[in-house]
Amino acid sequence: MEPIIKVENLWHIYPTGNVTAVRDVSLEINPGEIVGIIGQNGSGKTTLVKHFIGLLKPTKGVVYVNGKDTAPLKVQQVAANVGYVYQNPNHQLFARTVRDELAFGPGNLGIPEDEIEARVDQAVKFFGLEDFLELHPYRISFPLRKLVGMASVYTMRPDVFILDEPTTGQDNITTQTVYRLIKRLRDEGSTVLCVAHDMILLAEVVDRMLVMRGGDLIMDGTPREVFSNHEIMSSTHLTPPQITTLSLKIQEKYQSFNKTVLSIDEMVSEVQKSSQS
Amino acid sequence: MTETKPLIEFKDVTFWYGSTEDQPALKNINLTIHEGDYVALLGLNGAGKTTLQLCINGVIPNSIIGEFQGEVIVDGNDTFETPVREMAKIVGMVFDNPEFQLSQMSVGEEIALGMESLGYSYPDMVKTIDEVLEIVGLTGLIDRSPFGLSGGQQQRLSIASALAMQPKILVMDEPTSNVDPIGKEEIFQVAYQLNRERNMTVIMAEHEVEVMAQYANLVVVMHEGEIVLQGTPEDVFSNVELIQNLGLRMPQVAAFGHDVEKLGLIDLGGQYPVKLDQAVETYGPLFNKKAG
Amino acid sequence: MQGIVIPISMVPGNSIIHRMNPLPKLAWSLGILALAFATRNPAVLGAAFFIGLILVLVAQVGKAYLKVVMILFPISLTLITLQSIAPAFPPPWTPIVGFGPFTIYQEGIYSGISMLLRIFSMTTWAMVTIMTSHPSDIFTSLKRIGMPYSLNFILVMTLQLIPILQSEFGIVLNAQKSRAMKGTGFGAILPSMVPVFVGAIERVQQLSISLESRAFGSTGQKTSYRQVRMTFWDIALLVIGVLVTGSTTYWVIVDRTLDWSDTLVFHPVFAISLVIFATLGFLTFFVLALRQVLKA
Repeated sequence: MEPIIKVENLWHIYPTGNVTAVRDVSLEINPGEIVGIIGQNGSGKTTLVKHFIGLLKPTKGVVYVNGKDTAPLKVQQVAANVGYVYQNPNHQLFARTVRDELAFGPGNLGIPEDEIEARVDQAVKFFGLEDFLELHPYRISFPLRKLVGMASVYTMRPDVFILDEPTTGQDNITTQTVYRLIKRLRDEGSTVLCVAHDMILLAEVVDRMLVMRGGDLIMDGTPREVFSNHEIMSSTHLTPPQITTLSLKIQEKYQSFNKTVLSIDEMVSEVQKSSQS
Repeated sequence: MTETKPLIEFKDVTFWYGSTEDQPALKNINLTIHEGDYVALLGLNGAGKTTLQLCINGVIPNSIIGEFQGEVIVDGNDTFETPVREMAKIVGMVFDNPEFQLSQMSVGEEIALGMESLGYSYPDMVKTIDEVLEIVGLTGLIDRSPFGLSGGQQQRLSIASALAMQPKILVMDEPTSNVDPIGKEEIFQVAYQLNRERNMTVIMAEHEVEVMAQYANLVVVMHEGEIVLQGTPEDVFSNVELIQNLGLRMPQVAAFGHDVEKLGLIDLGGQYPVKLDQAVETYGPLFNKKAG
Repeated sequence: MQGIVIPISMVPGNSIIHRMNPLPKLAWSLGILALAFATRNPAVLGAAFFIGLILVLVAQVGKAYLKVVMILFPISLTLITLQSIAPAFPPPWTPIVGFGPFTIYQEGIYSGISMLLRIFSMTTWAMVTIMTSHPSDIFTSLKRIGMPYSLNFILVMTLQLIPILQSEFGIVLNAQKSRAMKGTGFGAILPSMVPVFVGAIERVQQLSISLESRAFGSTGQKTSYRQVRMTFWDIALLVIGVLVTGSTTYWVIVDRTLDWSDTLVFHPVFAISLVIFATLGFLTFFVLALRQVLKA
């Protein structure tokens, strides 16, 4: 399979202060993957993903999106393929109604009117925004605004979604909705990159995790591999979900148990297994 | 817990932001909090957590206009009759957006702002600033610009600014929702130490239910403006169905206990461990197969 | 970061001017401001400018000063070009040379030069003041001489907000570019301004609750954490500043002989080369700046 994003020996050095934000990173992301990108603020994860949409250009190295080198492209050109949903929806929303907001992106891409309308309708169904279509984006609750932010990128039909902290500060209901939507985006064939600290999202939704620290890509593996790696977890100050930690602690105590679980359901089936044996 | 005089009392509090024809933001709130309590406020967005917190220092009903019924007594003061600026000496507030609470050109001036307003003497201010910086772990940053700090540091600066007026109560509204994991750790740590070592009463609204179960001695669950559950973490999180029906998350180890008990694989009598250490003790034997 | 956004900010240092109280510096700067508006005499303005330059050297802020001048100077050159052909003087004007529909006048050259010197004498003194005084010290001093507490707070907050809103604007612009918005033109105004504006309102609302919760706005005696010393020499310099600039201003207003616009005659070669230099200087700067903007 052709990777949808391919990074070759990427370096990014910010000219102010001569800070190396990304150091010699290479990776490939395949279509249909859900990838979590983690690391503390300042680890380089945001700098890395900004290259995927052309907001930053490599100091050294190449970033390909859909086989095309992004360096000579403008953000507006990459945006047809890659959608970036900002952490704070207030940074994106400006239109008079939710409907106008959703139509903004495809309008910029030069999509014909009737096609835009069809896309808006579809996005409204996908994100469950039927009741809010004619409201001002600032008149609806913050969690809903977050969904509108995602929907306003969805209407551009990108192949890749970059979601910056899609669940931070959200309550459980909204969080669960976002998890479902991410999986549905994948089911529709999209690739989803989540820059996130939400450990449950990482454990239960993503297929693969990229761990950044001080500009280096220090690990690329499944959530299970990452969470089991004690050195990586403690050096990045990340705490796995409580149920994962429970399974790790029980492993320490009873050598006969050796499964790192990612969810409550997995832990329950482990109990069932050991009660049957 | 030894019985002490209540520090905060909500008596039949109902509050509407707009007119009384709308849904009230708070409905018949009765709540008693004692000195030294660590209270976790849980609930969905819009459940009334922020509104309840703003009642504690009297911003509601004194500054935010609405219809207010009932009574809130904080350390012997009726919040309806006490100006908010007086309440600042009893209640410190920390909000969810770190940057939106800052205004000054240096960390020192930021902390001094309230004290200047209250007319503290210069030597007092210098001494207090040193003290509170030490408490929140920002010693040495006194001349830095507040806007150049990390989110976690900014939030600790907000805590320090509140502590400068020597309050007994620290109210925190989702203080970790806009900071990274290190920042979260730092904020929880500072709040925990204040509670433990200085007997500070902490009232924190949070979505991090596992952390709250670890630190809080009183958990208050709100839904649509009402308190639907309150008690120790163990008691509150034994109401698994109710909590899940409200759309809230259980601490994972407690939810796990509930699931395993339903399958008949363990008998916990409907009381589940809510802390990790308890959970390891309780569940460990389930996995202790003889190697074979 | 903030240094990039506002090029005019404090340059840390320990010169004698840095150690002065901000109030005498402010008094001198305001005095020079008044003087600069009161006269067109190039010698008086030139002298004020020259003394300002000496202060720049004494304060050791030359580098930061030059950075500002590099922007200010080419822009100010337009004054020479424009004034030379349309002097801010009552006609009749004395023509020097004409080309095409334009005529360069004696009064125009005089006016252009004095305006340029006026701008530079004022800004040089102001820059020395700003670059050698911590903003907090300026505000604290103003509070001490009776500026209302709340007005002071608003000024501090405004100063803080400028760089914050600029960086917010950058984020919003990127967010909208990510939705394929063209970065320039009329269509970009609302999408990039509305979120910044709404964010600012939200910030102020939050801040006001937060401040109130911290006892801000209490009535009664206020104190100040920031201590600014006022020595005997500061007071002396303040008084001297007011007297010197005040009396000089009075003198330049009263003494009619200081109007040299009739007596000073510029040689045509000088006039033409000055205008050509000014025009080219400005145009070069304009083209370079435009290229920078288009690149971004």
